[in-house]
Amino acid sequence: MQLRSRGRGRLCRTLGLLTANLFVVTGVQAQQAPSGSNEATPSTELVSDEAPQSDLGMTRIDTSVLFYQEDGGRVRTIEPVALATLNADNGDILTVKLTSDTLTGATPNGATPWTSTQTFTTPAHAPGTQSVVTGSSGGSKLVTIPGVGTIVRQYSTAPNQLPVDAGFRDQREAIDLGYSSQLNADTSLSGGLGGSVERDYTSLTGSLGGARDFNHKNTTLSASFNFEYDLSRPYFGTPTPLTVMSGDPKGPSASKRVYNVVLGVTQVMTRRWLLELNYSYGSTQGYQTDPYLIISVVDPTGAPLEYLYESRPNTRTRESVYMDNRIAVGPTFADLTARYYWDSWGIKSVTVGASDRIPLIGGLYVEPEGRYYDQTAASFFHNYLLSTQPIPTYASSDSRLSKFSAVTAGARIGLKVGSTGELYLEGERYIQTGVNHPAGAPGALAMENLFSGVSATSFVLGYTFAFY
Amino acid sequence: MKDKQKQLEVMKQILLYAVGGVLAFMVSGCMGAAAWDRDLLAQRPMSLNAYPNLAAFHDHIYFSKEGSSGGRTTDGGGCGCN
Repeated sequence: MQLRSRGRGRLCRTLGLLTANLFVVTGVQAQQAPSGSNEATPSTELVSDEAPQSDLGMTRIDTSVLFYQEDGGRVRTIEPVALATLNADNGDILTVKLTSDTLTGATPNGATPWTSTQTFTTPAHAPGTQSVVTGSSGGSKLVTIPGVGTIVRQYSTAPNQLPVDAGFRDQREAIDLGYSSQLNADTSLSGGLGGSVERDYTSLTGSLGGARDFNHKNTTLSASFNFEYDLSRPYFGTPTPLTVMSGDPKGPSASKRVYNVVLGVTQVMTRRWLLELNYSYGSTQGYQTDPYLIISVVDPTGAPLEYLYESRPNTRTRESVYMDNRIAVGPTFADLTARYYWDSWGIKSVTVGASDRIPLIGGLYVEPEGRYYDQTAASFFHNYLLSTQPIPTYASSDSRLSKFSAVTAGARIGLKVGSTGELYLEGERYIQTGVNHPAGAPGALAMENLFSGVSATSFVLGYTFAFY
Repeated sequence: MKDKQKQLEVMKQILLYAVGGVLAFMVSGCMGAAAWDRDLLAQRPMSLNAYPNLAAFHDHIYFSKEGSSGGRTTDGGGCGCN
């Protein structure tokens, strides 16, 4: 449905001109350095089949769709996106982006596998309503508790299988507006607004940024600030952390606020090398627990005694340094990225990425790409809790907070269409590797695979073009 | 666990040396390109945000499935991602 916005370019033109690029505040600025060179005399040494290209004064449409599927029938996403970028003759840039996201499949509930069938019970109704929860009710059944009369939802997991809540389904719609204004030849300001709505989650964002060119446009310093307000409205209400999983009514919605600052420098290093360096600081205050996740409390034999709703701290600060290098190597274009990240939850990670765009014949190119990621565990990550030990204040068995590494390998092929258009297809395989059998697992739990990380395959099909 | 920490520290050191090397290069005066010498820099693949939709897809996937986020732009997933 979002793709219909392709035909709304002129409407967007009249609606917008108020805000800034939410996703690419620094990226827009980064484009200024090379784009400023378009007035330069074209070199006779052009080594690739790419012609110097500027979108100045043009409108660019970028439509694409993501197909994402996790192994084992877990989450599947289909996400069409339409982005219109209106470039005024004076350097001002307006962006309008529409996203629609459909998620289906099964998602781990945080419990450990066990040698016998496990049954999980959740509320069947949202707080204050009598309508039966359907948003994540696939693969489950409604049961009336004898003697009480309460209707609850139950689902089961077969022996030695990863417990998942099957039939998960959600729909997200998002809009992002951005505006970047060229104050003078060297300075620009930008701002943005965004909104995203799911059945159980709403997110609102606003951003402000500025950038200034120095050193004959060889250096760009930029700063951007982003504020985000998120409202979590779980299907069956918000459970109290570390209480026993049950079909009892849960609490009201919960919110969090996120502040982020990114300071960046973009530098033309040589005729063939463009560099971006960023430092990011972010602070999150409020509800950050996953209301759908539980953690098993097991006895010394490893058998689950009960399931508790997980608990995470209400504050989190994140920092990172990020480096992106664009390097023209012969007729190819390489992209080398690196990031070091650390946060107050105890997670540290290193990410490196590389790709190389290799021109083929007739406007065709291929771009192999790879990425490696490695993180430590959050300080409150536990695969399970032992019934013989005190329950900690914070505990989560979310594999995303565990110690693991991940590898992405893939490639993109693209075909130039006309003077400004490109059709592209990207395919990627993403595999997480974690600790399947952690040391010290009690009893038969030592034989179970306790890492619930994902392996996924994704494709992106896209088409972009520009016009006056 | 200690091996993991050590490995991350080594990678962090390599990253810091790389950043340091780049900064040294930047202040050495050898950097930059004249306005008439930016034919390659003006090409679309050299833009830091030539494919914003692809970058957003990647950020969305990694934000949803990993414990880290951010760096490239301001944070924010805008979703209660599963």
